[in-house]
Formats: sequence, C-alpha cells, structure tokens
Amino acid sequence: MASAATVETPNVTDPSLYLQGIPHDRFARIRATPSLAWHPYENGGFWAVTRHAEVRHVSRNPELFSSAIGHTNLWDLEADALEARRSLIDTDAPDHTRLRRLVAGAFTPKNIRRWEETVRAITGELLDEFVAQGGGDWVDMVAAPLPIQVILTMLGVPTDDADYLVELSNYLVEGTGDAQSIPPDAFGNTTELRLLPFNSPASHALFEYGEGMRQQRQDDLRDDLVSHLVRAESDVERMSRNEYRNMFHLLVFAGNETTRTAISHGALALAANPDEWQRVLDDPSMIESASEEILRWSTPILHMRRTATADTELAGTEIAEGDKVVMWYASANRDEAVFEDPDKFDVGRFDVGRANSDHFAFGGGGPHLCLGAFLARLEVNVLLEEMAKRSICLEQTSEPVRARSNFVHGVLSVGMRPAGGSN
Amino acid sequence: MAGDDMVRVAVDQELCIGGGICEMLEPEVFELDNDIVISSVTGDGLLPRARADVVVDRCPSRAIAIVEEEL
Repeated sequence: MASAATVETPNVTDPSLYLQGIPHDRFARIRATPSLAWHPYENGGFWAVTRHAEVRHVSRNPELFSSAIGHTNLWDLEADALEARRSLIDTDAPDHTRLRRLVAGAFTPKNIRRWEETVRAITGELLDEFVAQGGGDWVDMVAAPLPIQVILTMLGVPTDDADYLVELSNYLVEGTGDAQSIPPDAFGNTTELRLLPFNSPASHALFEYGEGMRQQRQDDLRDDLVSHLVRAESDVERMSRNEYRNMFHLLVFAGNETTRTAISHGALALAANPDEWQRVLDDPSMIESASEEILRWSTPILHMRRTATADTELAGTEIAEGDKVVMWYASANRDEAVFEDPDKFDVGRFDVGRANSDHFAFGGGGPHLCLGAFLARLEVNVLLEEMAKRSICLEQTSEPVRARSNFVHGVLSVGMRPAGGSN
Repeated sequence: MAGDDMVRVAVDQELCIGGGICEMLEPEVFELDNDIVISSVTGDGLLPRARADVVVDRCPSRAIAIVEEEL
C-alpha cells in the first residue's frame, strides 16, 4: 500500500499544528510529489490527496470513493457507531439523494435569496453594536452570532437559544481535535461517546434539543425547516427518527460553525490586507468576488475522507479497495496549478457570475457539495456590503486563538477594532 | 469561434440532488422545482457550447449532459 512513498510525508494531522494555522508549507511539499502521498495515521494510514484536480476526481466519483464506508473523518468507526452517527455527510446514493432532496429545497439559490433582508437586518444590528463598542472580540460580536441567528430563524428555533447552541458547537469543534474539555457525562449524557458525533457529550445535548423541537412541532406545524423535517419524519420511508436527529444536528452545527469560520478568517484577511479591502470600498461591484476569495482563503472544513470501493489508480498511484483517501481542501485551495499566486489574498481573483469560482470551500465539486453554500455566500456578501456601507475598515487588536483541530479551521476569538467608520 | 455553437442540454432527474449550481449559472435554462427540488430544463435548453461545458462540468451529481449538437 505504501509502496509509492519513498520520501517521508510531512505530518499534517497533528491537531496541535493547527493552533498556528494551516501548515501550508507542508501541504506545498506534498503537492510537489507527483504521486499521491501515503500519510501514516494511527495503526494504518491514508492517501493524502492535495492537488485540485485530484481532489475533484475523488469528490466527483462517489461510486469509487465512498462516504458511507468506515467514516468521513480520518479514523474508522465501528459499525454500530457509524449507523448511530450517520448523517447526510456519511451516505452514498441512494440514501444521500433521498436525504438531500428532503432539505435541498430550503437551500436553492432562489429560496435563499428570500432570506436576504433577514440576513441584512441581523448583520446591520451586529455591526452597529461592534462600532458602538469600539470593537472587541470579532468572533463573539459578529462571526458567531450572524450565522447562528440566521440558521435558527430558518429552522424555527428560538434565537434566544443562540448562545447555548454556539456553546454546544464549540464543544463539538473540540471533539474534532484531541482535547475535549468537558466530562463524558456533561449535559446529562449517558450514551457511550463513540456513538455520538465528534465523540462529544455536546452531541447528546444537541440531539435532546432537536428532539424537544420535534415534539413541539409535531403538534404545531409551522412554515419552518423543523416542521418540514417533522412532516418528512412522519413517513419512515422518507426519514427515520435517527435520520431526523442527525439532520437537525448537522443543520445547527454546519449551519453556524463553518460560516463563522469564514467570517473570522475574512476579518483576519481584510485587516492584514487593507489595500485589498480598499479596492472593494472603491468598487463595490467586487464584493461577490471578494466573498469567493474569503471562502477560498478560509477553507472552513480542511478535509473530508473517502474510502475506495475497488482497486483504482490516481496520479499514477495504485489505490486498493478499502484504502482511505483524504481530500485536503485546505491544500487544493492553494494549488498553484489552478490559482495564480495562491498565497496572495486577492479580492479580484474570481470573475463572479461566470464559472471560475472553482475553489473547494464547499467540497470538491461532487454530490456532497455543501448544502448551505448559497446561504454562506449570501451571509458573507451581505456582511461585506454592510461593512462597505458603513466604511468599516478592520484593525486587528489581538492574535487569533485557533481551534486545535485538523478538520475544522476554527477561530475561537480574535480582537478587532473598527477604523474609518466616518463619512 | 469555438464554443459559440449552440448545443442542447438535458437533466437526468434520477441523478439530480437539487444542488442548485445549474440554476445559479444558467437561470434562463435550468429551474429547480420547489416541491421535489429536482432541476429541469425550461424552454429549448439551448446554450453556447462553452457555457454548456461549464454547467455540465460543475453539476455536482453529474446529472447534466449535452444531448444534441446544433449547427
């Protein structure tokens, strides 16, 4: 299996590496290897897929590279744990198609546009408070509350619970690393951790919350996403109870944590590159392109894993059935073969409206395309529009505290101050 | 010029996952049904070849194909 690897592959999985940011130099070395690199992991290893073209190949050929076998994270799960934890993320067609279609309607470009004024109102309020306070923790004040308030509004979950659900999300991020700070019985959990998403007792709490919502809506159906799921769940052919709870969990977690990450790295990039933000202020028609660049730059999810369903070949490397194949979006988004000067933050890079926004912030181009891609775009676009309207330039006032995770490119806190701001 | 000739596109509705990329790229040609969330071609489904190639290439579930070449 490891025959192709003659040069030692630099380690890119140690979660503590990511406390200093994505190890881009290590990924660049792996990208320079013509074959795929074999990366040791636990008692085995995986093929590290780091170039754009090959990530795309893996993502777009799900019949060869399965999401339903083993796990979509680096480590394998036991069969019962995989079943208990299985969400939209960990399925192949036809289950994936069935589950995806249940929720896809809420997230189409046309239907997402209906939320624009809601997003704008929430964003404006948060920015006005940020300016009034003279800045503070950007994550607490803007990056976290914006997406959680929007997704909860769509779901029909009371936004009063936003702080609690962000707290749970933070514990879930910890669970993707190697340092869970809460005990196994936190939140009254009695389930074995291996049966819970991200091995976290916070998943138990989120399941309980979702079950509470389900029971409320069962007797009081409304025009919201939870009611839509409850209707589907009433027909087990469409959605089982376990699928409901994992879907609720996914919508809350992925619907807030990932966009929070994009908005956090966006602020860091705009503060570090004031000339690039000035280009946007001078020409607001660049906002959509700038949003795409922020998405490429932030790569909120660093990788996803697939498992080969048959012997196959990629980049001159023989992959055996059952091998783990890991798509490193964090690397593909800096692939010099696709992005000119990839380590430069360039708000004019993408020609929006046409087709070249070919970054992998939403996956590698295959069927597991991020369900919330158009929602995330709307949120980042509206944020930039409202910042531009207020002439807010960001000045960084403290170093970011980053998540200890090789999976989520999270920022826990970073100080920002509004400069400019006057007319 | 290469890429300017018109071709006809079609959606395989069994494969469609309602990802919405086609509707974003070519809203005049593709429309997602609001209830079943499956894409279909509206009108004659004609696109310049270069644009058809892009939308075929970007469909996440590989559900779109060029079905007919036009002169």
